[in-house]
Amino acid sequence: MANLSTNFSQFLFEQCTNKEREWLEEKVKSNFLDLMTAFVAAPRFLSKKNISYDSKSRGSLIPELTSFEVNGWNLVRLARVWLLLHLPSEPKEQYIKNIETLFDTAELNELVALYSALPLLSYPTEWLPRATDAVRSNMGFVFDSIALQNPYPELYFPEPAWNQLVLKTIFNEKPIHRIYGINRRRNEDLSIAVFDFISERSAAGRNVPISVWMLISGFTLESMVPKLFLMFKSEIQTEKQAAALVCYESKEPKIRSLLTKYPDLELSIQNEDLDWSKLQSIPE
Amino acid sequence: MCQNPNNQTKNPSHFESIDATEESPTHRDLLWEDYQNLIKDMRFFDPHIHMVSRTTDDYQMMAKAGIVAIIEPAFWVGQPRTGLASFKDYYSSLVGWERFRSSQFGIKHYCTMGLNSREANNERLAEEVMEILPLFAYKEGVVGIGEIGFDDQTALEEKYYRLQLDLAKKTNLPVQIHTPHRDKKRGTERSMSIALEHGLDPSFVVVDHNNEETVKSVLDQGFWAAFTIYPFTKMGNERMVAVVEKYGPERIMINSSADWGISDPLAIPKTAALMKQRGIPLDVIRKVTYQNAIDAFAKSGQIDVADFETESKPDPSAKFHGNSILRGGQQPVMNKNSLLIQ
Repeated sequence: MANLSTNFSQFLFEQCTNKEREWLEEKVKSNFLDLMTAFVAAPRFLSKKNISYDSKSRGSLIPELTSFEVNGWNLVRLARVWLLLHLPSEPKEQYIKNIETLFDTAELNELVALYSALPLLSYPTEWLPRATDAVRSNMGFVFDSIALQNPYPELYFPEPAWNQLVLKTIFNEKPIHRIYGINRRRNEDLSIAVFDFISERSAAGRNVPISVWMLISGFTLESMVPKLFLMFKSEIQTEKQAAALVCYESKEPKIRSLLTKYPDLELSIQNEDLDWSKLQSIPE
Repeated sequence: MCQNPNNQTKNPSHFESIDATEESPTHRDLLWEDYQNLIKDMRFFDPHIHMVSRTTDDYQMMAKAGIVAIIEPAFWVGQPRTGLASFKDYYSSLVGWERFRSSQFGIKHYCTMGLNSREANNERLAEEVMEILPLFAYKEGVVGIGEIGFDDQTALEEKYYRLQLDLAKKTNLPVQIHTPHRDKKRGTERSMSIALEHGLDPSFVVVDHNNEETVKSVLDQGFWAAFTIYPFTKMGNERMVAVVEKYGPERIMINSSADWGISDPLAIPKTAALMKQRGIPLDVIRKVTYQNAIDAFAKSGQIDVADFETESKPDPSAKFHGNSILRGGQQPVMNKNSLLIQ
């Protein structure tokens, strides 16, 4: 059993009726095959109500992993993750085979639960190929379950996989600010890829959400100057603001100096009236 | 084409006007576009269609014609599968990708799970499939064990049919029986008597692909009788109208079984239009094209009509779940008559 905290069990049972709790408690007493079947059959015995989640519980379900959060989940998803944490993690080969079987036979909601559980499963690096596969998924819910509000990618993804996740989130017009660690794992390669993507979209007459400029910030290249110059000239205020933030955070003197022509924007950044959070225009 | 080699009459040139007296057709197809108004605002449920073999164009036409929900039975993909992994992938696609793809067009997708009769004859593989089948049978949106039954009517087919009836009892799921194309009458009787022998309640069993020869016995024994409107090989819809006129709407349902063969995913709305035209009452049409299928398969506990009966139809221009078959901002409905592709 991996990382099962009493907080988690207590929180789950608070959401259950007595009958639902009895069903869950009975299932975790059985062998691993029954446990796996219970994982599948959960919606036949539990309601799909959205779980209530107050600020008190936030970050406290798994004390060792405060970024594990369950807001927006329903009871079945929560219970499935909890059931998975009861699978015996020894012997390792059997544990991996069981989890792999669940992945291989999973339907959409089961996949969502499996990916949600990744940061809590034993042998976390064993699931890396599964997790990067989920990023390739064309099923929105499956993609979301790994990309958004899931601590696993930040903790375990190597840089190229991380960058793909972020790029695909942008490509799919999803809210990048909901990727855990989006700020902490900014990097030069990602910045270049995002800048290329923006240029490609501009050439096709299409836009990208203005907040993606955040990913370029801190890793600017001189070749980006003409585009930033155009943004300052834009009639759209958020474009000017994004350009200002990029320049402000740039280590390139040439880019940093662009901002001197816009002292009002510089001042509002210094006064903390303007930051990237103000530009998160992507709807949830 | 000239059917008679002795007939020396020349075909008219495209530029010649054809003599008016020759222009009196004795037969003309009814054109679907002329009849769509008859079923305006009707809602259809297709309890048997193999969308894995169909295109997005089909989904678009189905949604437009009023099909709001479908059941995709697990069946034969046209060539035998060679390993367990292909079965797993196929079953997973029924509860995963295909369900998702369907949702993109506002059509609720359910499925039934089973080992089909043809592949039951590969005993080694059938054994392996039976081991993983329970994991799929309990899944959300799985409304039955199906389609199972007989093809060649071999001993192995019978063995796995019986084992799957036991699984249906254990999981408390309805059964969807595929009746054989050859020696159908005997195959249908045999399927029903084995189901009864296993203690299945006939109200939990849908016997599929009926015809004029099998319907009476199926209804008399308390089973659901499903009819497949499938050109050339199964039922035609004029014959279907006659069956409904004769037997009424109780426990009768219509499906398309559209698949990789020459078949029609609009078989239900077309049959409904024909029934309307022939004066069959609306409540009868509704039962055989919608309600009976729901009543039969809702015994699984997996059908919530609110999922497809809500009045607010999905906005075809809206994004359903963001990341999808719709790449980079595509919309689910496009104007196919437009030359411009933006």
